[in-house]
Amino acid sequence: MLFITRSSISIATLPALTMGSAAQDAWAASLVIALGSVLIVLLIAGLGIRFEDKSVVRFSQELLGKPFGMAITIGFLIVLLHFVGAEARLYAELIIGSFVPDTPIPFIVGSMVILAAIACYLGVETIGRTSDVLVPLFTLAILIALPMGFSAFDSRSLEPVLARGLKPVLSSTATSLALGGKYLSLGVLIPQATKPTRILLPAVATTLLAGITQTLIAVMVVGVLGPDLGNSSVFPFLSALRAVNIIRLIQRVEALGTIAWGFAILVDTSVLLYVLCRATSELMDLQDYRPLVGPIATVWFVYSMQSYDNLLSLLHFHESPAFAVFVTVTVFVPYALLWIAYGIRTLKVFEKRRR
Amino acid sequence: MKWLSELLKAWRARNTKPAGDLKDDQLDISEREALVQRYRLTSSLEGNLKAFKEMIGPSADITIRLMQLGTKRVPAAIISVEEFADSQQRDELVHTLTTNLLSGAFQDSPAHKLPEVITRLVVQSPRINYADTLDELWKLLLEGFTVILIDGHEQAIGCATERVVHRTLQEPESEPSIRGPRDGFTECLSTNISLIRRRIRTPNLWAEQFTVGSLTRTRIGVMYIKGLAHEGLIQEIRQRVNRISVDGILESGQIEEFIEDNPTSLFPIVYRTERPDRVASVLLEGRIAIFTDGTPFVLCVPTEFSMLLKAPDDYYERVPIGSIIGFLRYLSFWASMLLPGTYVATLTFHHELVPTELLFRIVAAREGVPFPIAMEVFILEFVFEILREAGLRLPKAVGSAVTIVGALVLGDAAIGAGLVSPAVVIIISLTAIASFTTANFAFSIAARLLRFVFIVLGSLFGLFGIQFGFLLIILILTSMRSFGYPYFAPIGPLVLSDLKDVFVRTWWWNMVRRPSLVGSREPIRQRPGQMPRPGLQANRSNKQRASRMER
Repeated sequence: MLFITRSSISIATLPALTMGSAAQDAWAASLVIALGSVLIVLLIAGLGIRFEDKSVVRFSQELLGKPFGMAITIGFLIVLLHFVGAEARLYAELIIGSFVPDTPIPFIVGSMVILAAIACYLGVETIGRTSDVLVPLFTLAILIALPMGFSAFDSRSLEPVLARGLKPVLSSTATSLALGGKYLSLGVLIPQATKPTRILLPAVATTLLAGITQTLIAVMVVGVLGPDLGNSSVFPFLSALRAVNIIRLIQRVEALGTIAWGFAILVDTSVLLYVLCRATSELMDLQDYRPLVGPIATVWFVYSMQSYDNLLSLLHFHESPAFAVFVTVTVFVPYALLWIAYGIRTLKVFEKRRR
Repeated sequence: MKWLSELLKAWRARNTKPAGDLKDDQLDISEREALVQRYRLTSSLEGNLKAFKEMIGPSADITIRLMQLGTKRVPAAIISVEEFADSQQRDELVHTLTTNLLSGAFQDSPAHKLPEVITRLVVQSPRINYADTLDELWKLLLEGFTVILIDGHEQAIGCATERVVHRTLQEPESEPSIRGPRDGFTECLSTNISLIRRRIRTPNLWAEQFTVGSLTRTRIGVMYIKGLAHEGLIQEIRQRVNRISVDGILESGQIEEFIEDNPTSLFPIVYRTERPDRVASVLLEGRIAIFTDGTPFVLCVPTEFSMLLKAPDDYYERVPIGSIIGFLRYLSFWASMLLPGTYVATLTFHHELVPTELLFRIVAAREGVPFPIAMEVFILEFVFEILREAGLRLPKAVGSAVTIVGALVLGDAAIGAGLVSPAVVIIISLTAIASFTTANFAFSIAARLLRFVFIVLGSLFGLFGIQFGFLLIILILTSMRSFGYPYFAPIGPLVLSDLKDVFVRTWWWNMVRRPSLVGSREPIRQRPGQMPRPGLQANRSNKQRASRMER
């Protein structure tokens, strides 16, 4: 689930978001993003496993007090809503732009909302099992598409390597690292796991795996499209696949990428919707999260449709520093505060035991 | 004190007479059934026989023979149902009763000891059961027992004289096999159970019996391997079968509807088979088989999606062959569901995905066809379904010829008339052939029905619609459970160790573990490390040959 959650939006747009300043060094940016993502996982999941039977909604109130904990949770919910809304809108824009231009966007977004709502209503077990089915298909599609993409690869596009130093590489990772805020879902999902304390290692492993995949994709995109064309493409990965022409029969393999992304979207949005519903139900002290699925799905749909005028405004928002600041303030800073509070509490307990 | 016990007996007999009379024509069936269930046999033979005759009415297949037992000439009656009791065994029983009680050591047996003398010393029946009520007496008769009523005794004695009537064992028509056993289940419950017992000879193979249906009183057999099947699952099956309250059960499909988890699901939740080898294999995995008297179809629970795509030959042929054919069957199943819809979606919305030359040919062939692609596909699919259904209902001698001619003539005529294009005929034919590879009939119907849904989705929303439908089906499949076990296992949830018997089949010597979820009570089924290798003799001769070569 984590692999597909991280990979979906990044695979679709990552090169476009990183190549602005990294250009031909987008692959290096991907590696930095992978390491940064591991740190984010450790930040979020590392605290979560210390409260294995409580979600972040509960232990944030325990650590920082009820009002402050609730405020932090609301911030998390807003971020998650943003992520799920952006994801649905992005995919709908791709479908409309490439395949069915006459279909209204609300219909595509609505279809995805319905599917995710059904998955969420059926429960986290169903989402997990669906992800067990779709992740191999997703991975297979990417594994088939990547080598095909390399058929049009030109290694000269990657040169000169790190010609402008590390600064452009590092500065281009802000958006992607901010996208790592999706790992917030771990804070709610950890108590649902069979063995919550053993979740950290698999989470780190899948994050690294997603990072490697992203790096390969970045290399392929730069090698096939070149730094300039890759920068101007909205969906550079799919554009790169479109360039594949092996024999006369194997053409337009971006359909593989689109199908893979569709699988990833379902799992990703289902997980995010489930986390939203679950966290909201805990915040409101409800026994069951299911009555909230409909209302939250509706809010998601409205947010997806109203928050952006078009695809470019969506991408510009994510490229701007405002997005990274937004996620930092609502996710990373609160988690830092949570860690500090946890550290203080642990010290107090330790002092008490010493006496 | 004897007078006290007699008084108590009479008092009990008086109280147990039912309110109402079986002679009353105004009683409806539920009242009659209730009266029969409440009626306790009395010590009066005349009273018992009267009640029995009122119960059965003028039924001519039930024989009642009056006789007198022993030198004391105690009145008795022998009752049996003609086609249920073996006449030879019944006649032997009568002969034994009359001769042995008139001569030998038992001739002077007192009247009150007659039942004991009969059951322990005189009658040599393999099984003796007793009945205290009219209902129990009737059950014994239906099981092929010959029942003895003795005047002065409140219990009826049933002696097993069952006549087993069944057709000869034949290969199941619905599940033929090229290499594998050729016997199949019949309509007789005891025969079917014996077919399994021949294959699994452990005494831990238990067969519980239930009776379902107030009027049909159909016998249901539940078989499992004690210690292998989960106790919770066994208990669940018992509860669900016992909960069935219906007037009649004629086929296992009715049992299936009463016990399944998702009644609205298109996909079968319960696996049905006519093959004893298949049932034996599922029992060895820790599953449970449910037999229904009167039908050769046995239900196996819990069911997984992958079971429905397996054919017996997958396990009897060599691994590469079984694996390739099994994998092909998987692809064929999904192709039979998705191919027409994908064809419609691609040609309606996504022309760029089709290689250019192929696209030109298809477009050229469609020149002059008055219908949109979706309509063409719909019409042909509908016609094909009609032909398929007609082929099932016609007599065998005529059916296949009619369907072949119909398909050929219709297809050719339709192309000649310009109503459909050849490409669509090819797609529909491929889809039909792909659907024939699905071994399970109920499963293939689900794919056939869903095909139409995908055609609609593809024609309206293109590949996005196909994807939407596919993802919805995956969601539904992963949410389903069969008796508490995930239906889509071991694909979702992913159980890597069980995948060796899903898309492909590994060697038998490599199937060390049972399916993880169902067989978790006893996960290891065979000794590991049994990969074939040369034996000791072969090793010795190889070494000798090697040393000779060195010299």
